[in-house]
Amino acid sequence: MSAFLTYLLNGLAVGCAIALIASGLVAIHRVTGVVNFAQGTFAVVAGLCTSSLLGLGFPHGLSELAAVLAAAVAGLLTGLAAIGRRGTTPLSALIVTLGAGVLAYAVEIVLWGDQPRSAPGLAGSVTVAGARIQTQHLLVIGVTAATFVLLALFFGRTYLGKALTACASNPYAARVVGIDVRKMGLLAFALGGLLGGIAGVLVTPLRPISFDTDVTLIVNGFAAAVFGALTRPVITLIGALLLGVAETMAAGYGYGSHQLEVALGLMLVVMIVQASRRSAISLEST
Amino acid sequence: MIRLVAGLLIAAVTLALPAVLDDSALAVYILLGLAAMVTVGVSLLMGYAGQVSLGQGAFYAIGAYTAALLALNGVPPLAGLVAAPVVAALSALVIGTPLLRLRGHHLAFATLAMQLILLSLAGQLEFTGGDIGLQAIPQFSIGSFEAAGAATYAYLTWAGLALVMLVTRNVITSRPGRALRALATSETAAASSGIPVGRYKLVVFALSAAFAGLAGGIYCFYTGYVAPGSFPVLISIQYIVMAVVGGLGTIWGAVVGASAITLLLQALNTLSALPGMPTYAPSVLSYAVYALVLIVVVLFLPQGLLPAVTDRLSRKRRSTPVETR
Amino acid sequence: MIDVKDLVVSYGTATALEHVTLTVRRGEMVALLGPNGAGKSTLANTLAGLLKPSSGTVHADGRVALIPEGRQLFPDLTVADNLALGGWRSGQRDPALVYDLLPRLAELAGRRAGVLSGGEQQMVAFGRAMMSRPDVLVVDELSLGLAPTVTADLAAHLAALNAEQGLTVLLIEQNARLAFELCRRAYVLESGRLVTEGECAVLADDPRVASAYLGGAIT
Repeated sequence: MSAFLTYLLNGLAVGCAIALIASGLVAIHRVTGVVNFAQGTFAVVAGLCTSSLLGLGFPHGLSELAAVLAAAVAGLLTGLAAIGRRGTTPLSALIVTLGAGVLAYAVEIVLWGDQPRSAPGLAGSVTVAGARIQTQHLLVIGVTAATFVLLALFFGRTYLGKALTACASNPYAARVVGIDVRKMGLLAFALGGLLGGIAGVLVTPLRPISFDTDVTLIVNGFAAAVFGALTRPVITLIGALLLGVAETMAAGYGYGSHQLEVALGLMLVVMIVQASRRSAISLEST
Repeated sequence: MIRLVAGLLIAAVTLALPAVLDDSALAVYILLGLAAMVTVGVSLLMGYAGQVSLGQGAFYAIGAYTAALLALNGVPPLAGLVAAPVVAALSALVIGTPLLRLRGHHLAFATLAMQLILLSLAGQLEFTGGDIGLQAIPQFSIGSFEAAGAATYAYLTWAGLALVMLVTRNVITSRPGRALRALATSETAAASSGIPVGRYKLVVFALSAAFAGLAGGIYCFYTGYVAPGSFPVLISIQYIVMAVVGGLGTIWGAVVGASAITLLLQALNTLSALPGMPTYAPSVLSYAVYALVLIVVVLFLPQGLLPAVTDRLSRKRRSTPVETR
Repeated sequence: MIDVKDLVVSYGTATALEHVTLTVRRGEMVALLGPNGAGKSTLANTLAGLLKPSSGTVHADGRVALIPEGRQLFPDLTVADNLALGGWRSGQRDPALVYDLLPRLAELAGRRAGVLSGGEQQMVAFGRAMMSRPDVLVVDELSLGLAPTVTADLAAHLAALNAEQGLTVLLIEQNARLAFELCRRAYVLESGRLVTEGECAVLADDPRVASAYLGGAIT
């Protein structure tokens, strides 16, 4: 039973990291219609930055903050490439973000080499109802919860957040009232970078990160985001937590080598179910 | 007339090359042909069905493993080579049937997921040889004729490519093909004019998978082994780069794109092997080139390199749309 | 004022407006009539700065607000938020500004715009446009799909703004009866070209205009 609780809490922590990646995907997709393939890259950039900054002797807090900002800049740059030019279709933009992700490989290998890197996080562990859980896992859950609350406040309460929602809700009307939809799209990309960066900073102490970790991250994130049809943040969060728990349970009960298959299989099933449900309504969806 | 002469010239050079190239150049020549075969399919899929496959390498792998497993179990290689595209196409039908009706990115991620699952499974299962893969695959043979030497595989590859191009050409010029062209530009228009959009997309998807499967089949006989490491995710991205560079939906563009990228990478490999280059130079250079070529072409030459050049030559100008965003 | 000179707007190879010239003087309310597909909305979007002229010039004094065809609200946001975003250009974020003008909006403030009736949505679109404190208002199809009483109510507000605050208005309408009631002058646009213009009283007697837009002679 305590093993189950441990797996559950660990799984929630893993799910939180996925949720952060996925919420970045959702934020960008809602505002721009683009599925950002480089979303995992932002986490990798942040993770590698933290490990370097801590290695150079910068204190905790400052290192993580700088790393997250670096990821936000990476997000902005990706956005500039993907939607900066007029008339780039969402599918072309997807390919451009794919290119951005591969370009990041080159930069990351030059800067950090191709071996996985880790970073120290919160040491120690606590016992919750007989289950031992690493403190870093609790930190991941706490920070994610706080991030989601801030996101909800940003989108629900602030003028800028509402303008972003407006772009997602009706881009033409947004232009009518004078909102620069492309600028808002860039803002969404920067926000996506920020969220990906938070995930990277949180995860690096738990799982060493290397330049090509982004594939696992984006696939997991997309799986969760697809759960919420790429537009609904709350369902995305639930999907991510389920995914994290399912993966950790699979690993904990001896199917560790099939973790990725669990995530991917789940994603395929969700997409197929959604597809069959939606195709009944409409064939037309490009 | 000029086209005919050019065609004959290209055919002659293609046929003459295997006789004059040495083995290492032949290896490039064969891999180029195989890449072109897959790229024709990717280009068809992207240009005519408006879909992106991020996992075309999966169908390449399916073809390779299918042919290899059959050959290792005593099935005649020719039967294995025929089975490779068939199994790949069937896999595409299974994954494509539910997903093709959705927005393009669903298929993109589904195919990527498929490739990752496949690689992971192939690395763990016993009958696929795990991470080591399948070794000692017999040489390709038809009856008593056995392929020996790279030149034979070069001919096999380019015969395969010719077949793929011929099939694609027939598909494009057929009545459904012309309907597909409409599909790529406006799905709404295509659907409202009574074109069975979903079915056509699916056929193109399966066809592109079959091409990749055929290439994979030839690949496994040529190299004599297959392993998960032969089919990284990057290989799928490489096909997209090639298709985009060549110009989506153009047969020759796919071949030109595959050739340009293959030769460029070859040159970079030579460059990065020079003394004084850091050890990470090969991978960094190839990543950077893939990425920059992809981004620059998608943003600035959306029609691709070949159509852009031919357009420039024939001085066609397109009026620019005025709508601001 | 609005000053459009020799305006050409094209989408790719298709031309939506061909050499259109029209003027709306400061404080004037002018109607633009025309059938579906005449290019009326293209003109509206060009005036609002959403489309670029291929050639010719578009000039408007001060800030232009557009009430677009089909309301075009933000359906997921509340009425209050829709109005607040209307003030994006002016920096005016407090919807109280238009509650004085359209008190009904204050009652609807907390409702999601997507669930409102057509008339209520048009009122929100009206209020949203006014949030930008415009000098020039372009109204694209005020009456489309609305009950006559609702239209009359909105038209009264529009007329009051024009008369009391000197708001310059270009009223794009298919309903010529309404347009002739509200405006003194009108232009008629067909297939991207202005075919006629003049005093509404004169136009109403023009048999071609009467048969095309009024369903017979006006009585």
